[in-house]
Amino acid sequence: MAINRKKIIDTISKIEIDSDENGLISNFNVLINQLPTSLWNDFAERLVLKTDESLLPATEGLLVNAAQECGYHTGYGIMGSELWASVVAPMANNVEDVLHGAFAVLTAMGWAQIEIVELIPNEKMVARAYDYYEADFVKIGTTDRKNAYMIRGICAAFMALAYSGEYDIDGSLVNDYSCEQVKGIESGDDYGEFVITKTIVDY
Amino acid sequence: MTKFIKPEIQIKSKLEAKSKKRYLNGISSVLHCHHFITLYTQLAMDAEETNLLEEVAQDNFYDVLNKYFVEHNISDLQEKAEISCQYYSVLGLGTIDIKYISESSAEIVSKNSHIDKGWVMKWGNNDKAVNFIGRGYISAMLSVILAKPIGTFKTYEIKSIVKGDNETVFKSIKK
Repeated sequence: MAINRKKIIDTISKIEIDSDENGLISNFNVLINQLPTSLWNDFAERLVLKTDESLLPATEGLLVNAAQECGYHTGYGIMGSELWASVVAPMANNVEDVLHGAFAVLTAMGWAQIEIVELIPNEKMVARAYDYYEADFVKIGTTDRKNAYMIRGICAAFMALAYSGEYDIDGSLVNDYSCEQVKGIESGDDYGEFVITKTIVDY
Repeated sequence: MTKFIKPEIQIKSKLEAKSKKRYLNGISSVLHCHHFITLYTQLAMDAEETNLLEEVAQDNFYDVLNKYFVEHNISDLQEKAEISCQYYSVLGLGTIDIKYISESSAEIVSKNSHIDKGWVMKWGNNDKAVNFIGRGYISAMLSVILAKPIGTFKTYEIKSIVKGDNETVFKSIKK
């Protein structure tokens, strides 16, 4: 059976997100919060604008890394959940199906309306996001700076979960893949496009 | 003496069909985990921009609470205070209880904290308090409850779960 993206999104988008008597939301082996997207966007935008140009790659790298660790650990929790077992697993016959399923879940969680458009196992993935909250900070016009740090991190993390072997709770495999954003709605493109490849380590 | 009846917060959550964006009471919201929020907090600390994180939280939570009270036509102080505490829990941030609120200061107790618990799960205890997003929420909440301009209060953590205390105590003072 092939992945039925619409069915996954329809089913998972209906799950209730409720806090317990301690005001905490525990799911997928992590603690979850549901904060306004503008909070995350404001912080990233203002932090980047305040950062000295020489330190900008490091700051942007840390914004991506926050999502990469989130995507790696939460993604693993999602794939081990009862929800995954009942909704996605019956449709998934191989690793590539799992990745397509994970992107459907990603969409249903409200992170981005995103899908895989090209996939070379172990090597390369291209994903397109047709709507995502990180583009919403631009109200009028476009910006030259592509700001989808969260999507970059999540995409790279999902690729690591698929192709970097056994999940490692210490996160040593989190950065096995890197993601470059080549198009962005915030920059005037029709969609955001993300290219994920194996991280090249300079020695 | 009039008896105060605890109000129940009303929450409408939905995934918008076309954009696939999640809305909580009409405000674009997103589910993130403790890894994400603690790493953003750590980044703010490393960049010496914790005031920025606190300010951004204050700005955004002020809008969230203010929108709710306007839409539900709530002006009673006690009702606003009760709903503000419930909203904190709905967001998954933990629990807060009001010890007191005056025109110039406040003390708020948090026995459960998403950020502190998440931090401890990820890295263990810390020698400094880390709940800058919670501080922003408390400052925003006080401004909204007392109908003061945003930024009227500055909030500190005088006890902190992440430091090993059994509860976090927020102290807010009018600037």
